[in-house]
Amino acid sequence: MNHFPQAWGRPRDDIYGPYDSSHLHSSLPQSHTQSPAVTGTSVLGVKFKDGVVIAADNLASYGSLARFTDVKRLRTFAGTSVIGFGGDVSDMQYLDRLLQSLDIRENYSSHGHSLNAKNLHTYLAKIFYKRRSDFNPLWNNVLVAGLDDEGKPFLSQADLLGTTFSAPTLATGFGAHLAQPLLRRLVPHDEGSVKDVTREMAIDAVKECMKVLFYRDARSSDRYSIAVVTKEGEIEMKEDEKLEGQSWAFADMIRGYGTQVN
Amino acid sequence: MASLMSDTAAHSDALGYSFSKSIPNPTSHSSGPRQHSFYPYTDNGGSTLGITGSTFAILAGDTRSTSGYNINTRHAPKVFRIGADDPSSRIVLSVVGFAADGNALKERLDTIVKMYRYQHGKAMSVKACAQRLSTILYSKRFFPYYVHAILGGMDEDGKGALYSYDPVGSYEREQCRAAGAAASLIMPFLDNQVNYKNQHVPGSGEGHALQQRQVTDLSQDTVQGLVRDAFTSAVERHIEVGDGLQMMIITKEGVQEIFEPLKRD
Amino acid sequence: MFIARSEYDRGINTFSPEGRLFQVEYSLEAIKLGSTAIGIATSHGILLGVEKRVTSPLLVSSSIEKIVEIDSHIGCAMSGLQADARSMIEHARIESQNHAFHYNEKLGVESCTQAICDLALRFGEGADGEESIMSRPFGVALLIAGWDDDGPQLYHAEPSGTFYRYDAKAIGSGSEGAQAELQTEYHRSLTLEEAEQLVLKTLKQVMEEKLDAKNVQLASVTKDKGFRIYGEDAMAEVVGRLESN
Repeated sequence: MNHFPQAWGRPRDDIYGPYDSSHLHSSLPQSHTQSPAVTGTSVLGVKFKDGVVIAADNLASYGSLARFTDVKRLRTFAGTSVIGFGGDVSDMQYLDRLLQSLDIRENYSSHGHSLNAKNLHTYLAKIFYKRRSDFNPLWNNVLVAGLDDEGKPFLSQADLLGTTFSAPTLATGFGAHLAQPLLRRLVPHDEGSVKDVTREMAIDAVKECMKVLFYRDARSSDRYSIAVVTKEGEIEMKEDEKLEGQSWAFADMIRGYGTQVN
Repeated sequence: MASLMSDTAAHSDALGYSFSKSIPNPTSHSSGPRQHSFYPYTDNGGSTLGITGSTFAILAGDTRSTSGYNINTRHAPKVFRIGADDPSSRIVLSVVGFAADGNALKERLDTIVKMYRYQHGKAMSVKACAQRLSTILYSKRFFPYYVHAILGGMDEDGKGALYSYDPVGSYEREQCRAAGAAASLIMPFLDNQVNYKNQHVPGSGEGHALQQRQVTDLSQDTVQGLVRDAFTSAVERHIEVGDGLQMMIITKEGVQEIFEPLKRD
Repeated sequence: MFIARSEYDRGINTFSPEGRLFQVEYSLEAIKLGSTAIGIATSHGILLGVEKRVTSPLLVSSSIEKIVEIDSHIGCAMSGLQADARSMIEHARIESQNHAFHYNEKLGVESCTQAICDLALRFGEGADGEESIMSRPFGVALLIAGWDDDGPQLYHAEPSGTFYRYDAKAIGSGSEGAQAELQTEYHRSLTLEEAEQLVLKTLKQVMEEKLDAKNVQLASVTKDKGFRIYGEDAMAEVVGRLESN
């Protein structure tokens, strides 16, 4: 009888041999994320005279497998800003949790003002930069849409390296190649053209680009979310949109599209 | 065959090598699966340039930010005022390379300059700031800030001052310096137009007797013109340079910032 | 009164009901037992002088070190528990070298004094919960003399962590008499030579022993030569001049 309660129920050394604990402290260096797993594709954003439009599809891919088809990649923050996430979905969920708890803390604190999109973008960029400096990156590419501290439309990007930039139109991933050139037609004089862009023009351009991306990006889907943040601080979020007016006529003569394979 | 193997083993034992019992080391073999690892840097392109005169210093940079062949934005300034909440501050920093490191470096130097003012009750001189920037960069010697920095300001004698750095903190005070993507295009132009390199006095002789053209003090307008020419030329030949030109003109009166358009192609 | 006081002078971090920190006040008393030290700031430089208490004829007077160099442009005289000054001086020297390393310029005299005073209250735990590094306040006061971009300066740093700039200041056992003397004799147009004589004359008045070249020590900080401690020959010469007056 062993009188040490800690030992009760444990395999006896004289029968099973001493516990081999070598795997607990491996001599190998600790390794962090080297590549993303479940990923979301492009995010698009456009500023217009009274606010910002932002969109992303609802697909989360596992490599080339369309793994989850109803993942909302636009997240609201503090009822004033929208973040569109590209890249790793689990890192998105981690960041969303982090930001949610930040929002709760801010709401409980006594100072009145809430964090705007510009504050949020700075915060996210610092997290990304810290994590990349620790060689433990959060594998995302995000757009932050909302208002700055003067109440003007704000749209900015931040990525896994902590790189940040801002422009009247932004697109991550495949969108940077396919959508950005189309979106830039809205704003020929960059920031100076934003005053000439209406809400409808911005929404139409974004929807058109989502369609182009669905045509050409193999990891995209026809279900998407689109949000409009306005100067009044309101967010109009639609999370279950379907691409309209698709035309596959261009593919008629191309072998390999649709059902006909050979 | 077996005898050959055992023979080899015996031979290698004698030499103190063990071929038969060696554990394959995954890192030392080039075949087999290889892990792609995270690379913490990227190049955001662009170019910067600084020129000093006897009463001023000019720092300039284009405003394009790139990722590969993509243009991230046409307006991402790379020249920053340091300690600007104090109106007497005359220090300007330009950073080109990895933009996230550039921003981190700028913010770090800025807080240090502000803290210096609180702690020592005086504005930091460019000379002191130059040395401090060097120690900041060197403190990350084994995980560097991947940037080429240029620091500009007015020295204690009221002359324009310019210091240029490598990513790990080696620095030097210079008359002029170009950095970034188009540095190799702009620097020779500057050598020729600021320090009159390869310019000679006509008819002064042949071979060694040929006299170098005397370096003169350039006016602010002349230098601004050189900066403009340097960038318009760089835009023609380098795809990562373009969109906009940002100039910071530092004089004893203050720091003036000018934006001008560049070609957007 | 005495009973009430003894209740509150045990803990070094405990205020008395009247709002006093007795241990800090006691540390100021320790300085009043120390040897007299004097500093005078003139437009030509700053002069520091201390009395050395040569308590035995067998004592090697040159081993008494009450004026030390902090950097080439800053020096300091002390009064009180000399051993306590060691860690303060060490801190100031490191701070000065660090500043030169990071900023390629000399540390300001006020910044140096501030750096020393930052140490003074480290007997309590820091704001961020750092461990306290000392069990009691310092028992030494310093006269810090230096020359920087703002010209010649003299500071007095106390164990309480406060410091003030002075034109002329005396600390230690003879400070009361010496300070009164300085107050009447100091004027802005003093030369360095006059300051030497004033320091020695004042020390002579407050010292118990008879002043000679062995039991006082002078040092100066000037723009050109920086901190310079007077050697035996220089001391003999200056003291000789005092006696001839």
